[in-house]
Amino acid sequence: MIEVSKLSKDYRDDGTVTHALRDVSFSIKPGEFVAIMGPSGSGKSTLLHILSFLDRPTRGIYTFLGNDMQTLVDHELAYTRNKEMGFIFQSFNLLSRASVYENVELPLLYAHMPVGDRRHLVEAAIESVGLSDKILVEAGKLSGGQKQRVAIARALVNKPQIIFADEPTGNLDSHSGAQVMEILQKLNDEGHTIILVTHETYTAEFADRLIKIRDGMVESDIRIEKRRHGGKDFFK
Amino acid sequence: MLLRDSFKTAVHGLRHAKVRSLLTMLGIVIGIASVILLMSIGSSAQSLILDQVRGIGSDLVFIVPGATKGSRFSSPPSAQGIIIKTLTERDADALRREQSLLAVAPEVRGQTKVVYQNNDLTVTFGGVTHEFFIVRNLELSSGRTFTETDVRSFNHVAVIGSKLAETLFGSQTAVDKTIRVKNLSIRVIGVLDEEGLGPMGVDQDNMVLLPLSVAQKQLLGIDYYNLVTAQANSAYTAEFAQGRIVSVLRQNHRITDPDKDDFTVQTQEDALSLLGDITSIMTVFLTSIAFISLVVGGIGIMNIMLVSVVERTKEIGLRKALGATNGDILQQFLLESMLLTFLGGVIGILIGAFFVTLAYLILSNTLATGWAFSLPPSAIGLAVTVSTLTGVVFGLYPARKASRKDPIEALRYE
Repeated sequence: MIEVSKLSKDYRDDGTVTHALRDVSFSIKPGEFVAIMGPSGSGKSTLLHILSFLDRPTRGIYTFLGNDMQTLVDHELAYTRNKEMGFIFQSFNLLSRASVYENVELPLLYAHMPVGDRRHLVEAAIESVGLSDKILVEAGKLSGGQKQRVAIARALVNKPQIIFADEPTGNLDSHSGAQVMEILQKLNDEGHTIILVTHETYTAEFADRLIKIRDGMVESDIRIEKRRHGGKDFFK
Repeated sequence: MLLRDSFKTAVHGLRHAKVRSLLTMLGIVIGIASVILLMSIGSSAQSLILDQVRGIGSDLVFIVPGATKGSRFSSPPSAQGIIIKTLTERDADALRREQSLLAVAPEVRGQTKVVYQNNDLTVTFGGVTHEFFIVRNLELSSGRTFTETDVRSFNHVAVIGSKLAETLFGSQTAVDKTIRVKNLSIRVIGVLDEEGLGPMGVDQDNMVLLPLSVAQKQLLGIDYYNLVTAQANSAYTAEFAQGRIVSVLRQNHRITDPDKDDFTVQTQEDALSLLGDITSIMTVFLTSIAFISLVVGGIGIMNIMLVSVVERTKEIGLRKALGATNGDILQQFLLESMLLTFLGGVIGILIGAFFVTLAYLILSNTLATGWAFSLPPSAIGLAVTVSTLTGVVFGLYPARKASRKDPIEALRYE
């Protein structure tokens, strides 16, 4: 599904060049739950941005679903993000004045989907994160955990093949964090590929594969043998 | 995004900052309201003026001394206060012999003081013949008009305007009262109906009409005319009569080169089109001043939209991450500013219409003559188009700025 080969990203600022990523290579198969871990400044966010088509690499080849990113123009990237990718952010990034329904509906608007077809998709997505009773509530009035669940509903409403989660538990208490990780695991069980970026080992251990990044390079890439499951494990 | 969804999104965006949206709109509201008000009043004033000229009669031809040089907007020298003595009794007699003319009414004009007991006031007087009342279609409310004898025998009689009669005599009957005009004792023999403004903007209700001979020789001491009004015979058009008059006068004045004409002959149509052009220019001029306030309003829109773009940087980043293209973002912000100015335009039209109605109610009661209510559809169409266009023009830059934001930087923005 994802093929990354010798991917590099440089940032230039006043003549000094920062190498955020250096020759990163790996591949991810459909259905995997991959955690990308590393300290801040390690390049993990840069990697996630490139993988999710929000940024382009300086060098190297990135192939997503058989398409070389290099060959895609901006609106094709936007189209792919809209159709095949879901996003969950640390700070939720909801439209706080809009209702839960309207927030979840957002990706479908950019898919040019008619109103009639949207409704049941949105309602199903909201139901799957257990917020059906909050469907018309303004997103800004929800608790942190609820907000992140709205964000998850938004990420899966367009039935994407892959979901990118950038520190999804970073702004949550441990109970809500556990809930979120449980939902992600459930989505993974249902067949979604999930790429999680985190700096917490606990969170990372919900995945079945762990890629550690340091100084812009892959430090290790291991399969997690004893995977965490469900909320209880979160507190260990 | 589907247009319907973009529209909903834009309405949402505006509703979340209601006060700001309203204040931003205010500039457009004021601009559009003044455009509507000025265009409407301009068109009412135009029809008022044109109606009055039209009321004079369409078969009339006016002859004034002096040539009209340059563009059609330059008035003949006689109308600019330059004294030209080329139009005389000889011309009037020649014109009276012309078949295509039904009547020829020469006249002189001046200002004079009129005194009755303790009342004295300065008014315009006209020296006219009995033909004047025919060609001008003037009706009397009491008394009689001049006869040929009045003019020939220098009779000291006068026909006065209705307002002047009221000012001088109050509720007493005016006929047979004796007034002093300059140093002459004049007997009032008739009072005009309410007539309003006449040609050349003379207030006919405050006018004194004297026999031509008395006014010309005894008051002014001149032997030329200021104006000759001719009425075309019903068998001929005014244009034809105009042509005949020109050739009669050229013959009389021994003019062979048309560029050397020392008179100007105008039909009512000429006067109408000239007046129409002048009032149109006035309206355009006033309206363009109102447009300046629209530009100011537009700059306000741009300013607020720029602020809004910065404030919603994160939202823009999110929308892009979720699949919005640059075009989607551009469309969203452009629609917001267009909606803002369109609504401003609609409110402006309503407020403008309110003031137009108010002006109508006030003016139609204070002006003696009819002030027509006018809210031209063209003004409304223009207002809607211009206000929406303002949204496009002044919304484009902020919208482009929004659409070009880098999604990662936008998402990181706090």
